[in-house]
Amino acid sequence: MSASWKQLSLQILLLLVSCRHINTKTPGPTPPPRIPIDQLPTDVRSVALKGESHTEKVELLNPVNLALECTWTGNQDKLANITGLWRKDGEEVKNSNQTVPMENDQYHLKRVFSILNEEDLGSYTCEFGSKAKIDFVLAAPQIGDVRDKPIISYLGDFAVITCKMEETKPEPSTWYWYKANGTDKEQIIAAEEPLRYEIKNEERNTKLVVSSLVEADGGLYFCGAVYAISTSMSHVELKVISFLEPLKPFVAIVIAVIVLVAIILLYEKSQSKKNSTAADNGTTDQTNTLTQGESNGPGESSSMRQRKV
Amino acid sequence: MTKLRPKAESQGEGPDGGYGWVLVGALFVSTSLVFGLMRSLGIFFVEFVQYFDESAQAISWISSTGLAAQQFFSPLGAALCNAYDTRWVVMTGGCLAALGLILASQATCLVHLYLTMGVISGLGWGLVFTPMVATVMANFTRRRTLALGLAFSSIGLSSFAFNPLFQLLVELYTWRGALLILGGLSLNIVPCGALIGPQRRSKAPAKVVSESGVSCASFLQRASSYLELPLLFERPYITYTLAISLLNVGYFVPYFHLVAHSRQVGFSEYQAAFVMSAAGATDILGRIASGWFSDLGHFRLIHLLSVWTTLAGVFIMLLPVSSLSGSYAALMVISLLYGFCSGALTSLVFAVVPMIVGVERMMGALGLLQLIESGAGLLGAPLSGLLKDITGDYTASFMVCGGFVVLGTLTMVTLPHYFSRKDPPPPKSLSPEDPDKGLHAELEQMHSSPSDMNDLTGEVTNNRLPEDTYS
Repeated sequence: MSASWKQLSLQILLLLVSCRHINTKTPGPTPPPRIPIDQLPTDVRSVALKGESHTEKVELLNPVNLALECTWTGNQDKLANITGLWRKDGEEVKNSNQTVPMENDQYHLKRVFSILNEEDLGSYTCEFGSKAKIDFVLAAPQIGDVRDKPIISYLGDFAVITCKMEETKPEPSTWYWYKANGTDKEQIIAAEEPLRYEIKNEERNTKLVVSSLVEADGGLYFCGAVYAISTSMSHVELKVISFLEPLKPFVAIVIAVIVLVAIILLYEKSQSKKNSTAADNGTTDQTNTLTQGESNGPGESSSMRQRKV
Repeated sequence: MTKLRPKAESQGEGPDGGYGWVLVGALFVSTSLVFGLMRSLGIFFVEFVQYFDESAQAISWISSTGLAAQQFFSPLGAALCNAYDTRWVVMTGGCLAALGLILASQATCLVHLYLTMGVISGLGWGLVFTPMVATVMANFTRRRTLALGLAFSSIGLSSFAFNPLFQLLVELYTWRGALLILGGLSLNIVPCGALIGPQRRSKAPAKVVSESGVSCASFLQRASSYLELPLLFERPYITYTLAISLLNVGYFVPYFHLVAHSRQVGFSEYQAAFVMSAAGATDILGRIASGWFSDLGHFRLIHLLSVWTTLAGVFIMLLPVSSLSGSYAALMVISLLYGFCSGALTSLVFAVVPMIVGVERMMGALGLLQLIESGAGLLGAPLSGLLKDITGDYTASFMVCGGFVVLGTLTMVTLPHYFSRKDPPPPKSLSPEDPDKGLHAELEQMHSSPSDMNDLTGEVTNNRLPEDTYS
């Protein structure tokens, strides 16, 4: 018995040891296998600065060794040497502080960065002293048209949520959907609940169909366009309402219509009653009890008699 | 002597005022809920395409079915009004139209929408439009065209109002809730029908003596008289209907294709949409202005109608020519003029009918006219689309459609007595002419309530020439 206990405790120990290495922070697709750095393709982005600062957007799809080049013509000081610095997301990149000499009336900074995954994306800045800087914003293609109004649907009905990548931007390799759960995002796997969720992916579009809606289905949904380097997210809000909502103005209108019709019919009945009682009293009364259009009555009769004559 | 006469015409066809204007208001509301609603259904199409995952063409059949049903059931509505009380027919029509929309809010497939929004609501609309127009026309004589123009201006005005309203409803309640609320709004047709007032006339049944109870032959005979089928054998009516059908082939087309044509010539989306809105605005203006002008009585209605249709045809043909030069101003001017003329002619199209067939047969005549012209209307848009696909641009299709409109005018010219200065007398009814009876009827007219006007129009018409008071 002690041997099996030992085995069990060893297994538990092993389990605990391996558990520590499981990353629970980012749900979603497993990161792509790491390619050795020297086998990555290379790309160059260079910017020549005219003023004091500039921002350059760089769209990346795949892991790459990206060389960023900054060129600055300098200002009126025309210092012989200036300190050059690289920052990533505001924080200084280690060992990037260097002295940059002026060559051919220009300062030149260049560095190669390995952009492998989502953490490597962001804002890279080259600084010339504290006088000039160029920002390179590295990002995967972003989803352009984000629907700002919520999608509304009824309890028990289904809702269709779509995401689209513009024609001008490269196609994602696939799409994933997430539902917001508190501050986390939970991936929606259609295979797990085929009756409730259905995901239709077509290169540039994706559709999430949520069926048999319940109140809990309301909230934020995220669609992720997956590129080798990272996933671009966009969100849409889904609101689930009950059919009582539009029923209220509808019933109000119906009641108003019924009241109107009742008023018209009752008014007419009272008018015809007046007319019929007046008819017993004589013809002269009749002409006086007539409603709007007949104010011409007496005049009419006289002119008609004239015409007859 | 004639100047002493108040607004109400001595020929007694209609009191021309007072309660008549209440009916114009009712027609205004019901027309906006029929045609104004139909025109603004485009807002729902985007939602339907996304929800039902169908093509835009399949979705556009919904409104085509609705319009076709409205026109197809018009003679039925007219016949029912001849047989029974107009007000109940209109109220039933309102309920049906609302029912169709309410059921549509529960639709789970496209066929449901065809059946509910298309057939049921279309049937309701058919039972509403023609009877209400005929009732208003029967209540006016000298101001008839103005009354119609004012009422039909509701189509343009309401589509201005309904577009943002429907957009809001769809955003708040999505299309299901919006359709439900639209059904409720359509119920407002029912009070409009209630305003018509009870009728105590006996129209077509007076012509047919039904001795036997329910036999097939007598039923068919009654049905044919309610539907005014004998009209189909009268040359003036056939000529006029043919003219209006030819008009219908071409006259709607610019509304469908103007925006696409402007974009093709090179103007921006915003500019093209603005041209359309401007044409819509002058359309409203044209309806009212033409109504007011026609009633001044300087010209015969048929002559005015011919002028407006010729001008409309010419401007349709000029539309592609004006944009040839690429000038936005030229396109805008021609579109404005086209909008004005097309609005102007709509006021007159219905007003001419009683001149041709007489006031008592007007109801059935309008129903048949709607039915026959609907077939022509169905031709127009596909034909122009086909021409555009063959030739590559809209020049040929606009030319052909303008040609159809002018052809309609030429057909109108062949109407009997076209070139005489005065209108010919409408055909006499079957009841014997009796001058004493006519005077007695006139005296009765003053004593009865306003809604009873309808029943006396038939009897009094026989003794009067319609337009001779104008000379």
